[in-house]
Amino acid sequence: MVSVPDLNVRKEKEPFDSMSDQEIIIAALRRVERRIRTNRLLHELTFGFSLFIAIPVLLKVWDLFKPLRGVTVSLIVGTWVLLFAIYVVWRSIQKGTLDAAASSVDKNANLQDELKTAYWFINNPRRTDWVGAQIHRAATNAQRLNVDALYPRSIPKTSYIAAAMALLFVILNFVPLPWNHNWLTLQAAPAFALSDKEAAILKQTEELLRKAEKLKQPALEQKLEAIAQQLQEGKIDALQAEQMLDELQNELQEGNLDAASINEGLEEIANELEQSQKLEPTANAMQDNQLNLAADELRKLAEKLGMNTPEESKQMQKSLQQAAENTRPGLEELTKLLKEAAENLKKEQQQAAQEALDGAAQELEGLEQKIESQQLKNMASQQLQTLKDSIQQRQASSKPGQRGQQQQASSKGQNAQGQKPQPGQPENTQGQSGESDTEGEPTDQAGDQGQPGPPMPGAGDGSGLMPSGKGGGEAPREGAPTQLDVKLQQEKVEGMNDGGEKPENLEESSKQERSRLDYRNVKSDLSPAQKDLLNQDRIPWEYRPLIKNYFQAIRPPAKK
Amino acid sequence: MSTAIDQQIVTFQEQFNRVKAEVSKVIVGYNDIIDGVIMSLLASGHVLLEGVPGLGKTKLVSTLSDVMHLKFSRVQFTPDLMPADITGTNVVQEDALGEKFLEFQPGPIFSNIVLADEVNRATPKTQSALLEAMEERSVTVGKTTHKLDSPFFVLATQNPLEMEGTYPLPEAQLDRFFMKLKVDYPTVDSLHTILNRTTKIHEPKVDRVLGQGEVLEMRKTVRAVPIARPIQDYAIRITLATHPKPPYAQALTMKYVRYGSSPRGAQALVIGGKIRALLNNRLHVSCEDIRSVAYAALRHRVLLNFEGEAERVDTDAIIKGILEGTPEPN
Repeated sequence: MVSVPDLNVRKEKEPFDSMSDQEIIIAALRRVERRIRTNRLLHELTFGFSLFIAIPVLLKVWDLFKPLRGVTVSLIVGTWVLLFAIYVVWRSIQKGTLDAAASSVDKNANLQDELKTAYWFINNPRRTDWVGAQIHRAATNAQRLNVDALYPRSIPKTSYIAAAMALLFVILNFVPLPWNHNWLTLQAAPAFALSDKEAAILKQTEELLRKAEKLKQPALEQKLEAIAQQLQEGKIDALQAEQMLDELQNELQEGNLDAASINEGLEEIANELEQSQKLEPTANAMQDNQLNLAADELRKLAEKLGMNTPEESKQMQKSLQQAAENTRPGLEELTKLLKEAAENLKKEQQQAAQEALDGAAQELEGLEQKIESQQLKNMASQQLQTLKDSIQQRQASSKPGQRGQQQQASSKGQNAQGQKPQPGQPENTQGQSGESDTEGEPTDQAGDQGQPGPPMPGAGDGSGLMPSGKGGGEAPREGAPTQLDVKLQQEKVEGMNDGGEKPENLEESSKQERSRLDYRNVKSDLSPAQKDLLNQDRIPWEYRPLIKNYFQAIRPPAKK
Repeated sequence: MSTAIDQQIVTFQEQFNRVKAEVSKVIVGYNDIIDGVIMSLLASGHVLLEGVPGLGKTKLVSTLSDVMHLKFSRVQFTPDLMPADITGTNVVQEDALGEKFLEFQPGPIFSNIVLADEVNRATPKTQSALLEAMEERSVTVGKTTHKLDSPFFVLATQNPLEMEGTYPLPEAQLDRFFMKLKVDYPTVDSLHTILNRTTKIHEPKVDRVLGQGEVLEMRKTVRAVPIARPIQDYAIRITLATHPKPPYAQALTMKYVRYGSSPRGAQALVIGGKIRALLNNRLHVSCEDIRSVAYAALRHRVLLNFEGEAERVDTDAIIKGILEGTPEPN
C-alpha cells in the first residue's frame, strides 16, 4: 500500500460505509476541488486586491502633490471598482475540474497518480479485476485523506500586502495637510478654488451687495453667495465661475442709471436755480451732489414760501421754470414737479406750490438714494471684474496654450481703454470720469495704484459712478501680475519701400550662393593645346592635382 | 478479487527480489543494471549492455542464467561468425537404412537466455540473423521455420571504445532492444566488495530460484497492470518529443536529433512503467514510473544528426531535456 503521511490522514471517519468506491473517490475529489478553489480564490483575490489597491494609493500620492478633482477621482475609482468587480466575478466563476483535483491531491499526498488513474477508470470503465482493485485501493486511500492537512486554510502573504496597502491608503487620506482631501469622506479638490485674495474680494462684493439691498435686488447677493458656495464645493470650474460672474455683472448693470447724464442735468438745474436768491442754498447743495441737503433746503423754502416777497417769488418762479425745461433722462419727475411749483407760484397758489416743492424735495432724496445704490452696484461690479480677471489670469497661467489667448483677448478689451470699448461698456471709464469730475482723485489713485477701491459712498464722483458702464475703469489688480500691453512702434528702415510698416516678402533667392560662373571661363595660364589636352583626356578628378603638381614640378624655372 | 491480485503482486515482488538477490551475490554495485536486465526479461524484451571490458557484463548474464531454470547459451561474436553459427543449420544424416536426409541442428539461439557477447564485432549479416530471431522469435532455415522457446531473452554486450573492426548495430536493429543499459565503472566500495568476493578460495554460488513457468507467469502479471489514458498520453508525448519535428519537439531535439524513437519506445516506456509499478506495490502506472525507465528505453532509439555527433552530445542529456520539458497530465 502506498503510505500516506500521517499528517494527511483523516482524524475522524466520515460516513463512507454506504458509498461505493467510485462515490468515495468522487466525493473526496469534490471536497479537494472545493478546498483548492477556496484557497485559489483567497490567493488570487488578495493578490489581485494588492495589485488593484496600488492604483488608488498611487493616485492618492499623486493627489497629495497635485490635487485631483472630484470628477477625476470618481471616474478613476469607479473604473477601478468596476474592473476589480469584473476580476472578482471572473475568478469566482472559474471552477476547477475533478481531474485537476486528482492530479493535485496525487502530488500533495504523494499518491503517484493513483487518484488520477482511478478517476479516469471511473469515467472510462473497464471490466477487469485489476481496474476494480485499483479503484478500491484508491478509494481506501481517498478515505484516509485529510483535506485540512493537505490544503490548509492559510492566510496568503499577499493579504498582508493588501492590508498594508489599504492601511496606507487610509493614512494618506487622513494626512493633515491643508490641500489633502479625504476621499473616504467623499471629498476632493474643487474644480477651482479661490485664493485668499479672491475670497476677500468676493466677501467685499457680498458686503456691497448687502448694503445695496435698498436696490430691492436681494437676489443678486444670494446669487453671489451661491457662486461662492459652488466654487468652494468644487461643483463648478473656473470657466463656469467666470460665466456666472458675467451673468451677475450683467444683472448688476441692468437698470443702470445714466448717472453722468443725471449729474449733468442736476448741475444744469442747479445752475438755473442759482439765479434765484432763495434757491441758491438748494443749488449749492445740488452742485455739491448733496441731494439730501438740497431736499432739506427745498423743504425749508417751501415752508417759508408765504414769507417771500413778490419779487422773490417771481425770481423763484422764473428759476424753477427754467430749471424745469431740463430734458435730461432720469430727471423727468423732478422737472415735472419743478414745473408744477413754478406754475403754482405764477398762479400764486401757495399751497400747491408748496406741495410741488415738497414733492421735488422727495424726488431729490430718491435720486440721492438711487445714485448711492448705483455707486454700490458699480463697486460690486468692479469687484466682480477683479475677481474674474484674477481667475482668468490663474487659468491662463495653468493653461498657457488655451487660456492665454482668452486672457489676452479679455485683457485687451479691458486694458486698452479709450481704444475699443466693450459692448455695453462706456468709453467713459473710471479714470476718465475722475478727470471729468472735480473730486475724482480717490478713484484715480486707486486706479493708478492698482488697489481695490473701498466703498466710499458720498466721497465723490471719482469713486466710479459710470453712466451705464461696467463700474468704470481699470479694475484694481491686486496681486495679479502686471501685464504690459505695449504696442511696439515700428521703426522705419532705410531701403524698404514702405518703411517697414508692412511685411515685405522677398521672393528672389539669396545672393550668397554657389557661383554659377563656368570655371572654364576663369582666366588660365595654360595654352590652348594644354587646355584641349586636359579637356580631352579623361582624367579622374582625384588625380588631377597630382598631374598638375607633376607638370608644375617639371616646368622649367622662369627666367629672372 | 482484490486479495488475489494483491497476492499476485506480492508473489511477483518476491520472485523479482529473489532473482535480484541471487544475482547480487555475484554482481556488485549494479542494482540498476540488474533491475533493468530482469525488467527486460519480464517485459519480453532484450537488453543491450554497453560498457568497457571487464565490468562484469558477461558475468551478469551468466549469473542470471544460473539463477533461473532456463536454457542458456553464449555466442562470442567475431567477424568470421556466420549466421548459421547462431541459428543452426541442416546437416546431412544417414538413417538406419543408409538413406541420407537433412536434419536441422539448432544453433545456440535455441535457448531461453542467449548471451551475444560483443555483438558489434560480427558482420551485419550475422547480426541480422540474431536480430531477426529477436523480433520474430523464430528461425527460418531452408524452407522450415523453427519456433524459439519461450521465454527467449537475448542479452547483447558491446564495447563502446574499440570501434576498429567493429560493425555498429544499425538503428533499425538497435530499436529491437527493449533497453540499452550503460555499465559504468564500479565505485570504490563496490570494488572492495568485488575483490573480497572474487579473490578468496570460495567464490559465491547462486541458487536457481526461478523457473520457466514462473517467468511466463510474471510476464502475464506485468501485462495485467492497467494504465490510465492520461499516463499513456504522457508516455506518448515523451516519445514524440524525441522527434525533431513539431508539435512536441523541443529545442534540444530539433538541434541535435535526426530521428526519434519508434512506437517500440513508447511500448518500452509503458511496459517498463508497469513493472516499476508492480515493484512499488502499485496497481497503476504513474508518470514517475514512465520517467524512471525513459533513459534505458529511449537512449538507443534517439538518432543524433551530424551536429549532435560532432558535438558528442549524449542522448541521455537530450532525454533529460525532454523529461523536463514534458509536463505531466492534469
